[in-house]
Amino acid sequence: MQKINPRILLAIILIPMGLIIAMVPEDMTGSRKVSTEQILQEIASGSQFVSPDEIAGMIVENNPVLQLIDVRSSNEFENFSLPGAVNIPLTAILSPEWRDILDQDVKINVFYSNGSVHANEAWILTRQQGYLNNYVLQGGLNYWMEAIANPDPPSDLSPDEEFARYDFRRAVNSALGGEAVERAAEAPPPPAMPAIRPRERTPVVQGGC
Amino acid sequence: MDKKYLNPYIGGVLLGLVLLAANFVSGRGLGATGALRDTIATGVRAVAPSHYNNAAYYSENYAMRTERPMNSWLVYQMLGLITGGFISGIIAGRTKLTTERPSWVSSRRRLFFALAGGILFGYGSQIGRGCTSGSALSGMAVLSFGGFITMMAIFGTAFALAWFFRKNWI
Amino acid sequence: MGPLIVFEAISPATNLMLAFFIGIGFGFVLEQSGFSSSRKLAGMFYGYDTTVLKVFFTAAIVAMTGLLFFSLFGWVDLDMVYVNPTYLTSAIAGGVIMGAGFILGGFCPGTSFCAAAIGKIDAFVFIGGLFIGIFIFTEGYPLWESFHNAGFMGSPRVNEMIGLSQGVFAFLLILAAFGMFWAGEWAEKKFAGNYRS
Repeated sequence: MQKINPRILLAIILIPMGLIIAMVPEDMTGSRKVSTEQILQEIASGSQFVSPDEIAGMIVENNPVLQLIDVRSSNEFENFSLPGAVNIPLTAILSPEWRDILDQDVKINVFYSNGSVHANEAWILTRQQGYLNNYVLQGGLNYWMEAIANPDPPSDLSPDEEFARYDFRRAVNSALGGEAVERAAEAPPPPAMPAIRPRERTPVVQGGC
Repeated sequence: MDKKYLNPYIGGVLLGLVLLAANFVSGRGLGATGALRDTIATGVRAVAPSHYNNAAYYSENYAMRTERPMNSWLVYQMLGLITGGFISGIIAGRTKLTTERPSWVSSRRRLFFALAGGILFGYGSQIGRGCTSGSALSGMAVLSFGGFITMMAIFGTAFALAWFFRKNWI
Repeated sequence: MGPLIVFEAISPATNLMLAFFIGIGFGFVLEQSGFSSSRKLAGMFYGYDTTVLKVFFTAAIVAMTGLLFFSLFGWVDLDMVYVNPTYLTSAIAGGVIMGAGFILGGFCPGTSFCAAAIGKIDAFVFIGGLFIGIFIFTEGYPLWESFHNAGFMGSPRVNEMIGLSQGVFAFLLILAAFGMFWAGEWAEKKFAGNYRS
């Protein structure tokens, strides 16, 4: 019995496999542009929103995948911004210089503006380009200041979860130096984490060699 | 040539399966130089923390990382690579402290060229964002355009220069 | 559904542990295939030993075909697999510099570690060179930062660049690989005389 040449054996297996792959219809379209219907669906489901608590948790953890993106004007950005944010004014959102930041699969980008409107516009524009991993801070800075910077203490009758959330927000606040302006050097771990819903898509870790 | 080595096609299939496993588990390919880069970053941080915080490269690439740069996927994979190579060498009886060279090439010359080649490869791998395994091999498996370009540039250049350095090898 | 880490089927700690085992497989196969020998690696460029070509391209087409089938069966989401981005200028320049390093040093980074693991002194020296080269890059980064970032094209797949579907391109690549294997076998016969001890 003669041993079969490995190269021939490999060809016998791989070439038909290649043929099969060539025959089956492509399940991923070549173009990465996303259809309007799909974007409308995503908007309807609100999947682009992330809650301030989630973001705050990530800031406290110093989570390396979080990238906050301030879409307000540079003046407003100078006056106040969240820790670690970069400023990409809405008018410049599709300029090539920012493409590296917006079209990637490493970080979670979170747009924010004073409310949700401008951040949402930024998200729609980038989503139309087929970019992934961009999200919108729910309620914008206005809600952030309410929910994170000055949380209302829960009433005595509220369930434990409310207390936990309140404690967490207080912790975030102290970690962020009270006014959520400067990142604290050594953030204490939050005493209790709110339930963070599992994200459907987490970014792919950076590859490279 | 040496009969003790695995048939290259079988070796290739096994390596392909390892690469497939890496992509299936971690969504990334194999790499070698990334681990070195992380090690260097860690070393720089230990030796000269102020420099580490000010030098453009480290602050841009490691600023967001709170954990030690060494604690990375590529570093663990590299430790595995060394372990795996060692196990294979033990099994095949190939472990031996030696400078491998053709008989007409002096040890010193071989080591000089190894050092020069290493410097070029190290520098080039950072410019090109990945070496033979990280960019070319892993990139080809996921049909990355850049991976193909890097692969062709590496092999094309090596072939083009082969004649000039033939005295070292043949 | 893979990649496992992306869909949180495994914890980050498990991911690191699996990285170690994947590394073991990587190193073991490299050494078994003879990649711990610089003369065997360099043989690729003088025709007397085309192991590099065979192992490299077999691995590439096996992993590629595997990924495409995994995607077909819904086992892996290819959109979530890392595709290294293309910076055309630096990919070519880096490749050229690496190619020169390959022919001078007789190793590439992965194989040098594999060779060092079994006691090759030249591999240790090569690794020393790698550290120096990377250190030069990171320390002088401002000097070549703009060059390093030139020619950015996103993360295109090669089939998109030439307007083919992934499957068709994969099939053509498999055929091309077998063409190269055949050429390699021919070269080994023709240039066997190039190998002297």
